[in-house]
Amino acid sequence: MLKIEDLHVSVEGKEILRGINLEIGAGEVHAIMGPNGSGKSTLSYILAGREGYDITKGRVLFNGKDLLEMSVEERAWAGVFLAFQYPVEVPGVSNIYFLKAALNGIRKYEGLSELDAMDFIATVKGKMKELDMDEKFLYRAVNEGFSGGEKKRNEILQMSVLEPSLCVLDETDSGLDIDALQIVAEGVNRLRDPKRSFVLITHYQRLLDYIKPDFVHVLAHGKVVKSGGPELALELEEQGYAWVDEKKAS
Amino acid sequence: MPVTQLSNAHYASLLEAKQSNLPGQDLDWLNRLRLQATKEFADGGFPSLRDEEWRYTNISPIEKKQFTLSDKAGDVDASFLKGILLDDCHHLVFVDGFYQAGLSSLDALPEGLVVSAISTGLAENEELIRSLFDSVVETPALGFINLNTALFTDGAVISIKEGVQVEKPIQLAFISSKDGALTVSNSRNLILAKSGSKASVIETYHGAEDTCYLTNVITEVVVEPNARLAHSRLQAESLQAYHVGGVYTRLDSNAIFKQYNYTFGATLSRCEVHAELGTASDCDLDGLFISQDQQHMDNHTRVNHAQPHAVSNEFYKGILNDKSKGVFQGRIVVAEDAQKTDAKMSNRNLLLSDRSEIDSKPQLEIYADDVKCAHGVTVGQLDDAAIFYLRSRGASEQMAKDMLTFAFANEMVERIKINPLKIKVLEELLKRLPQEGMKVEWL
Ligand SMILES: Nc1ncnc2c1ncn2[C@@H]1O[C@H](COP(=O)(O)OP(=O)(O)O)[C@@H](O)[C@H]1O
Ligand SMILES: [Mg+2]
Repeated sequence: MLKIEDLHVSVEGKEILRGINLEIGAGEVHAIMGPNGSGKSTLSYILAGREGYDITKGRVLFNGKDLLEMSVEERAWAGVFLAFQYPVEVPGVSNIYFLKAALNGIRKYEGLSELDAMDFIATVKGKMKELDMDEKFLYRAVNEGFSGGEKKRNEILQMSVLEPSLCVLDETDSGLDIDALQIVAEGVNRLRDPKRSFVLITHYQRLLDYIKPDFVHVLAHGKVVKSGGPELALELEEQGYAWVDEKKAS
Repeated sequence: MPVTQLSNAHYASLLEAKQSNLPGQDLDWLNRLRLQATKEFADGGFPSLRDEEWRYTNISPIEKKQFTLSDKAGDVDASFLKGILLDDCHHLVFVDGFYQAGLSSLDALPEGLVVSAISTGLAENEELIRSLFDSVVETPALGFINLNTALFTDGAVISIKEGVQVEKPIQLAFISSKDGALTVSNSRNLILAKSGSKASVIETYHGAEDTCYLTNVITEVVVEPNARLAHSRLQAESLQAYHVGGVYTRLDSNAIFKQYNYTFGATLSRCEVHAELGTASDCDLDGLFISQDQQHMDNHTRVNHAQPHAVSNEFYKGILNDKSKGVFQGRIVVAEDAQKTDAKMSNRNLLLSDRSEIDSKPQLEIYADDVKCAHGVTVGQLDDAAIFYLRSRGASEQMAKDMLTFAFANEMVERIKINPLKIKVLEELLKRLPQEGMKVEWL
């Protein structure tokens, strides 16, 4: 589904990603772990198409197509979804309108007609219930004045409404208490599907207690320094990230 | 002779020529006012860029056009009219500056309310009209006011009796027809809200598409003690038209005045909203303007805190696209006696194009010492992070920008309490910020 080849990215002359290689098959769950500042969010933004980065080398293929050539919205239409580490507040745009505009954008691309308003609201309300979100959030401005946890849940709500094929979750677990973490994890697990892949970016192992990854990668200083199975996450939990720096030093 | 003087001469000649269809020719007091205005115009002419209050708005196109006077109302399409008249309102319709009884609906007016056209109600309401006329508008009058006084053909006179609450809003619809091309309509409205009364008046301005004309309108408003008046203004003139207008209000003690000012139309427009505040009165001035192409929109406000304990709250938002230009000049004067004044003014602007331009000039003149005054101006662009976020969810770039622009504007639309007006303003907004599948109820 997703193939990242020797990806090098700099910002203002500073190299942040220094040759990433990663291959993610359909239906797989990959966890990317790593210390703060290792380039995890940068990688997620590159996949979503944010501006302001120099991609100096490498390429990214999404279902065989050159992802980096696609505009931000084309990626969304093609099924890429990034749950932001810091979801953006959009004053004046209600959640319900935002969701509808997003979904209709995608449906139009797929050649489908607009959803019936009543059906749409019913579907969204059902998903909100699953995420233990109050319906009043539908009519509030997107993320405006939401608590950290509410913002993260809202990201998962959008994901479950838009049903993307590649879900990149950037530290969705941070700032969540254990109950919220469980609800969010269940939300993600409900979306697991042989045709849908996940990239879980996280600093901690605890999210992986609830969402079992197939593969774990350690990102440090802009490079994947180690890859393995779920056991690698446990190893990291025990050892911390200090060895990463030692590795760099040696 | 320079062009300006020549053209002023054109307008002066309009004033000289005897206008047979001006109302009130048998009234001495009115004739005197018209005569004086004629003389003052002949001396002073139109304002120029050299006038401090007009330095950002060049009205020479109006001089050059040499608009003439129409002598009767042109035809207005039934469907066009239908799109203008608001549901659940009393309507007074003026076409090309002339009251059209046949298009208006003044039946079922409640007790204690005078609503009439000046042309038809002059005999019956002469005292009322005389007491209001020129009572609030600024003196010495500048060019456009003089032109209006000298040549006004019609307008509305409204008086709400003490303690009466008028349920339905009163819409004054000013329409320029195709036949009114290259003419100027001068209208004068007079509104008196007597003690303890409550009412809502809406002025709307529309014109036949692609028609060039000049609207020159003045509204004088008096809000007596403890009365409450909501006044809305929707300027949606033809995009070739010129619009110069003003709302001049005097608030007596404990009066409440809420003004909502929505500007969408005209190639060049200038709107004055002036309020003189009595003791402990309360005045809100809200405004929204959206300019596109080469439109020039000038909003001038003046809040005069003449007496103590009054509260004023002013909030204007502007959205400027393409090569359009906006002007906001907000002046607050707090007189020496106006202690405990609480005055706020804010002007926020969104520049959607790097060729658009806004001149925003707040002016505070404070002569009292125990006052609370705050003002702020911002000029900004759309938030890139928000655009990226919306696009990452599948909104096209244009859609994302339109959504955010719409949201910026919608804050001002949300303030409208009259639903039919709100819908009308949203329609104007959506014409300028088209969003596929957008429904008002999604907002
Ligand atoms: N726009 C930017 N400008 C300058 N430096 C940046 C920018 N974005 C990220 N960086 C730097 O790149 C490094 C990686 O950041 P980030 O991808 O956010 O790491 P992580 O998500 O792993 O904590 C950090 O050193 C950060 O300061
Ligand atoms: Mg990060």
